[in-house]
Parts: sequence; structure tokens; C-alpha cells
Amino acid sequence: MLPLGKQVILLDGGFGSELERLGLGEAVPEELNLTHPEAVRAIHKAYAEAGADIITANSFGLNAVKYRGSYALADLARAAVENARAAGKPVFFDVGPTGALLAPVGTLTFDEAYSAFAEVADLTRDMVDGYIVETFSDLYELKACVLALKEHTDRPVFATATFDGSGRTLTGSTPEIVAELLEGLGVEALGVNCSLGPKEFAPIVRRLLAATELPVIVQPNRGLPRLVGGKTVYDLSEDEFAAWTEQFVAMGVSVIGGCCGTTPDFIRRISSCKGRAVPVRSAQKGTIVTSATKLVAIENVKICGERMNPTGKKALKEALAAENYDYLVSEALRQEEAGADLLDLNVGIPKIDEPAVMRRAVRAVQEYCDLPLQIDSSDAAAIEAGVRQYNGVPLINSVNGEEEVMARVFPIAKKYGAVVLGLTMDSRGVPRTAQERFAIAQRIVRRAEEYGIPRRKVMIDTLVLTASAEQALVSETVRALSMVRTLGVKTALGVSNVSFGLPNRPLLNKTFLAMAMTSGLNMPILNPLDGEMTGAVRAYNVLANVDEGAAEYIEAYRDFTPAAQTTAAVRREGTTPAADLYECVKRGLKGDARALTDAELAQRPPLAVVNDILVKALEEVGALYEQGKLFLPQLIASAEAAKEAFAVVGSRLEKKEGGRGKVVLATVKGDVHDIGKNIVKVVTESYGFEVVDLGKDTPPERIVEAALRIQPLAVGLSALMTTTVRSMEETIAALRSAGVPAKIFVGGAVLNEETAKAIGADYYTANALEFVRTLERLSE
Amino acid sequence: MNSSDLYKSACSYLGVRGAPDKGTLALVEECLAEAMRLARFRAIGKEYTAPLAFLAKQPYTQFLAGCTGYALVAMTLGAEVERRVRVLMRTDAARAVVLDACASALVEHEGDGWEERFGEIRTYRFCPGYGGSSIADLAPIFHELHPEKIGMQLLPSGLMAPQKSMAGIVGIGKRAHKTCGDCMLFKSCVYLKEGTTCFRSENR
Repeated sequence: MLPLGKQVILLDGGFGSELERLGLGEAVPEELNLTHPEAVRAIHKAYAEAGADIITANSFGLNAVKYRGSYALADLARAAVENARAAGKPVFFDVGPTGALLAPVGTLTFDEAYSAFAEVADLTRDMVDGYIVETFSDLYELKACVLALKEHTDRPVFATATFDGSGRTLTGSTPEIVAELLEGLGVEALGVNCSLGPKEFAPIVRRLLAATELPVIVQPNRGLPRLVGGKTVYDLSEDEFAAWTEQFVAMGVSVIGGCCGTTPDFIRRISSCKGRAVPVRSAQKGTIVTSATKLVAIENVKICGERMNPTGKKALKEALAAENYDYLVSEALRQEEAGADLLDLNVGIPKIDEPAVMRRAVRAVQEYCDLPLQIDSSDAAAIEAGVRQYNGVPLINSVNGEEEVMARVFPIAKKYGAVVLGLTMDSRGVPRTAQERFAIAQRIVRRAEEYGIPRRKVMIDTLVLTASAEQALVSETVRALSMVRTLGVKTALGVSNVSFGLPNRPLLNKTFLAMAMTSGLNMPILNPLDGEMTGAVRAYNVLANVDEGAAEYIEAYRDFTPAAQTTAAVRREGTTPAADLYECVKRGLKGDARALTDAELAQRPPLAVVNDILVKALEEVGALYEQGKLFLPQLIASAEAAKEAFAVVGSRLEKKEGGRGKVVLATVKGDVHDIGKNIVKVVTESYGFEVVDLGKDTPPERIVEAALRIQPLAVGLSALMTTTVRSMEETIAALRSAGVPAKIFVGGAVLNEETAKAIGADYYTANALEFVRTLERLSE
Repeated sequence: MNSSDLYKSACSYLGVRGAPDKGTLALVEECLAEAMRLARFRAIGKEYTAPLAFLAKQPYTQFLAGCTGYALVAMTLGAEVERRVRVLMRTDAARAVVLDACASALVEHEGDGWEERFGEIRTYRFCPGYGGSSIADLAPIFHELHPEKIGMQLLPSGLMAPQKSMAGIVGIGKRAHKTCGDCMLFKSCVYLKEGTTCFRSENR
């Protein structure tokens, strides 16, 4: 057994650079396990002799996504472990990233990444002593990997990420976020490797040590690489490397080794640190939730946005029933913009597959929104689906004092390292007194700890009852907050419930919020679009001496005048308002469109607004664009203004008058460039067509399925490069053979009339305006 | 390229000819600043003297004729700008399109600056896809450089991710400027029809 966390453990050093020295630098390293086992063994042996406690198998690129050679993964993995075993030390299997970028930047899904790593675990779990997950630069892929290893093996997992000079991974995660995620997933040690030299690592190491009590691993490169005559050269001497390692150990690092450019001599040089006692560290961490790029510590007051919860929201219910995730994404972005710190996500409506919808909803929202999520459901399967798919450390909403509920949800929170919100109620309902609610909170905290969930990962909601029905109990809720805080946990409340059934609800909500914050409320769950409520939090932060020098408050209200409140948000600085709807569309002033459309509707029938104003304005804009007197940004701004107006008019039109037809748009499989398709979408919508956007990297079968279901007027396909034009051709063939009657439009940089004809499209249109004009001719 | 050139490139990608109106002007300036703030430019390169196998054909032989050596390069602006464009596409599409164009201009600009390390006398960056070459030749460049380390990927479809990424060849020891003959859009180019180009003529 390794004295992990008690004494300093020595790992090995660079492998690629050693292979290069042996003249094997051009080979696929993992294949050398079979083709040149003696060379691989020699390197392992040299590291063992240098003092390494653990030998890392030569298996970095062995996963089905990355390895494309002709050998079987199983054979290479077995040979890698056998070669490492020959050195006579414990063997850890080296697990590197897939080399593929996860969607939406790349095309690999979380589940595909997970499967690739699960396969690695299945192939090796009976042969190895542990795993070193290393050189990961994407938090999401790191999560997939660690989860796969934890679910498919019982061996220890060490995990390291790479950071650049800015202190972030390539996908923007900080050391604190990486540490919080990995610790939550239950790795045995975590740290940093590759990418930088020890000097550049120092600040990152310091941050990691402060962010976790787990053993910290440091495997730097031999300084920053330099290119000399086409060769990569590392400059750091063994002495310098050793001096840095000494410093890291003194700081509290307990697993040391090297990465690119380091050799057995470097490992021998630092082996004097081996076995040294590791000082006990305490990381003063509070309650933390994160997205991939944003860490939110629940302290003072943090706002949880409540708008992604269908209770009492008809439009959201309809969107969820139709699996229209665009609606959710818009709600997320609006709340983020309005100042929410994290967002509640609840998709619970009758007759849907809640786990599946939750999974897709989480994916959709995190693609756009940086804020941490609160996964909210009464269905444990939906909670797990959401938490698993989530890229970060989420908050789970919720458990209560019922044993069965805790038994269902705590294991999920524990497994994924999520924070969990406990409601102070049980099978008997919400107790009347603060004392009774406190007792339930105590029970929840105690039970959580029995499941291995630390107190800092538990929050308590003392539950708001309506003042109209239970007036005397409002103060009990508030009193319970301060009692619960003595347990050392953070608190939450769904604030606006308090005013239900009474007039002027905002006034009650705001007053109650102030009372609760004073009594220790950390996380009001509220509507952040309500400026009065977010304003109350800002004001509290000034008065409670949290917002230092009132800086944030002043920033928010710098231009405040009572009258400015309603109009300030919508207009860009320096623009004068549009005189009428026609001018509004022509000038692309989206913010004015709704009010001006309402004004026009008061004077004329909806259809006249469309034909006499919107269509004419768009015609003029289109003509100016074609004459080169007005440019793409303005065309799009006009389109967006017209789209806003159409949304208002559309609600007034009779069914038979409404809608000019549907269009399905997609960027074809393999293609991730969607700016062109998106421009076509905006312009097409501005002409009153309904667009169903299937997104990018869309498989032919999804396009066929949508076209058959929606029966659109046209299917528009976009592709950027010659290689993806092939994918376009396959899609067209699939649409034709499925008997889709819609006309097929194609567009994209390398397309022209000739190619369009050759691949079987009906129309080629060079730009968005041409697309919509052709479409108009079709719809007439 | 200085920042006014960056501005011109961005405008050119947006199809703006001549002097734009004040609103567009301000929007491009704001978006350029935002692109710079969000960009995490990363590049990787390697110098060679002997030609690699994939370069032993046209148009590469002609492009590299007279060079004393060459470098393979790969570079990216990272995925942050792309993410921001994705969000803006939903909240302010005009801004999204402008930011996207600014990011395109910026990656070219940063790349040109970064390539100064290969000496004063060098060619422009010739990327697979130019001059009748195949974008399939991105594969050997990726094989040589492993740009995965800087967060780039060659997708199975032959495109690169993140979107604002480039990979190509820089000839060393001779000067060469970009010409329209290299471009796959030569036949259908809207700029050429108007007698202009999408790049600056003095561009290496």
C-alpha cells in the first residue's frame, strides 16, 4: 500500500522524450508496447531504478476515440501493463484525453466520451493498481473519464489537468473549479501536469492546495518548450527542477514527478523528497457550485433564478411538452443578464420522460449559459440524469426530512459531489414552529453526513408559507433561518410564495426578502427579471457592508432616474427612438418594435400592419442591401426588429391569416459552422415564416424525421467545405428516398448553381435575402 | 496589420464597402474590442528543411520553390468567442455576425504576428484548400504538430474546431503575397466581381 497523503510519493517522468532519445519518436507510442516491448520496459525500468514509487503504463492514447491504429485496444492495453509490471513497482494505467473536442465546439458527446473511457476501465481493471488520468484540458471530458473509471473499477484514480499561463484550462476552468469537481467525484489525488514548467505552475499549485484537502499531484514539464531547428528543446536543469520540486513539497504537494522533457535523471534527482512526511492542510471551503467556467460560493446573498420552472407558467409548460429547448435557453440568458448567480432548472410536467427531458435541457442550457444550475425535480431519476450530464458541480433541489427521499437522493449527491438542498418538512408536512423545522434540518444534515456528504455541501430551505393563509408562521420561517445557520449550513427560500393571494405582491415580496436576508438567508430563489427584488439584494449588500464602497450598487444605478427605469434597458446609447414602426424596422431598432407594433395595431388591422408596414420596410431594406447602400449587420438588425413585430402581430392574426409556412433549416452532419445558417434563419423569420432550426452537425435521419413530421415548405441545408458538401448530398438523397415533398435549398461557401444541381438540390441561394425571396415565390 | 487594418478586414468580411454608417462603425469597434477580450490565441509550429511527403505535389512544390525551409503552423482563437457568438445569435443577431467577422479578422492578424518568429523573409500562410490543394492535407499537419495540445481538433469531416482556427504552411527564405488564384472561391468571388479582394494586397 502506498502511503498516499501521509508521505511524499514519487511518480515517473516524461515518456515521449525518452522514446525520442531511443530513436522511436516517430512511432505511435502505444504500439511500441507490442512492437518494441524491450524499449518500453527499459524506460520503465530506468524510472523504477531512479526511485519512482509508481510506474505509469505507456497507454496515454489508448481509447477508442483517439487510437486509430490496426492493433486491438485490448492487446495494446495488456502489453502496456505487462511492460510496466516488469519494473517491479505498482502500475497505474495512464488515461489521456480522447483528443476530440466535446460538442458544441466539437462533435463528440459526453456519453460517447464516457463510453470510450468505460471501455478502457473494463479492459484493464483486473490488471492494474490504479489510474492516472492526465493532461485533460476540458472539465467535461475529465468528468466523463473519472466517472467512467469510478463506475467501472474500484482502483484509485489520480487525476491531473493542464492549465495555461492564464491559470485556466483550455476550456476556461480554474484550478478551484477543477479541484471542486474532482474532489466531488471521489478521486484519490488531484493535480496538475504538462503544459508549463514548474515556475509557471507555482501559482496554480498554490491555488490547488488551497482548494482541496486531497493529496495534490504536480508533474511539470522541464520548463517551457522552445523550438530550435524544428526540434522541441527544454532548458531547465536538473538542479532547477529539483529546487522547484522541493518548494512544491514544502508547500504541501505530496505526489511529485515530471512530464515532457524530464528523464530518469530528473526523477532520481528529486527522489530525495520521497517518503517525507506531508503536512496536514485544511482547505477553508464553503458551499460551492460551479459551471465549467464559473464558481459561485454561496455566501452573503446569491440569487437563484426561478424562471426555468413550469409551475404556473403556461408558455414554459408548452415549450417543454414540445421539447422546445430554445425557450429554456432564452429564459436562462435573460436571467443571467438580469444578475442571477445561479439558475433553477425544473422540467417536471405530466406525461413526459422527465429524465430524458432533463438531460437534454441541461445540455441545451449549459451550451449557452455560464451560470451554475440547480437541478430541481421530485423524481430521483430525473435528478441523476441532470446531475450526470451537467458540466460542473450543481445544486440538487431537493430532499426533505423523509427517510425514503433522503435514501433516494443522497447517494446521487454523494456520487457526483453535488450540493443538496434540504427542505424542512417531512411526511407530516411543514411543521408550524421554527423549532420543529430546525429539528428536521438537523436530521437532514446528520443523515447527509452519514452518506459521506460534508456539511458544507448541504443547504437548508426553511420553507415560506403564504401570509394570506398562515400569517403567524411567516416569522417562524425567518426565525428558523437563523437557527439553521447555527448548524454551519447555508440557507435558501422561495421568497415570492409569501405574497400569494394578497394585493401588491411585489411590496410584500421585497419586504419579506429584506427580513429574511437580515436573518441569514443566503440564497433567495426569485425572479431576477423583477428589478425590485434584485435591487433589494443589491441594497442589502450595501447596508450589510458586503458590497465594498457600494461599488456594484453604484455601477448598477449610476444612471438611475425614476423615469429612466422602463426605457433605459432597451435602447443603445446615442440612438434616437424610431418615429414609427416602418422606421423602426428600417433602422433595426429591435427594442422599440413591440411598443410601436402595439401602437399600429390600435389603428389598423393586423394584416395591414404586415402588408403595409413590415413587408414594405423589409423590401426597402432588402433593396438597399442589394445596392450596397446598407450592409449585413443592418440587414440583420432590421430582420430582428421585424421579427419582434411579427411576434406581436402574430398573436392578433386569425389562424387562417397567420403564418406564411414552415421551413426546416440545418447545418449538415460533420459541419460545425453555423453562422450562415443562423443569418438565413433570422432573415427568414423576419419575413413571417416559421423556422424550425435543427442546429449544426445534424445527421440526415434527424433532418428526414423533422421534414416528415413538420411538412415544411422547404428544407434549407448549409455546408461550409467540400468535405461537408458530400454530407449534404447524402442528406438530400435521404430526403428524396423518404419521399419528402419539400423543396430543398442549399447554401454555403463552396456551393454554386452547378454543385447544387449535381448533388440533387432544387435551389441554390447565395445569401439570406435570395433564400427568402425564392421562398416567397414558392409560397405564393 | 495594425488595428485599423483589423477593422478593415472585419468590415470586408461583413461585406461592407466604402464608408459604413456611424452605427455599423461603432458596432464593429465594440465587437473588435470584445473579440480581443475573449480571444485566447494559441499557436503551435515546427520548422523543417526537408519536404514532408504530403508536400511533394502541386500546389505545394510551387509555393515552396525557392524557400530555404518552411514551417507548419496551427493556431486558434479558442472557443470563448465562438460561445459568445452562439449566445448573441439569440439575443442580438446583428452583433453576433459582427463579432464573428471580427474574430475571423483577429485570428488572421494574431497568426501573422505570431509567424514573425520565422524571420522577416517569409511567405504568407498557405492553408490546405488554397490553390486547388485538398483540405485533406490538414491531416498530415495535425499528425506533425498535435494541435490537440492547444485545444484544436480535426473533425472527421475535415473541418477544424474551434471554428476560429487555421493550419497551414509558411515558406521561409522568400517572400510571397496572397493572391486570389489560390482561393477555392476564385470563380464565384463577390469581391473580385467588384474588383477588390477580401485581404490586403500587401499581405505578405
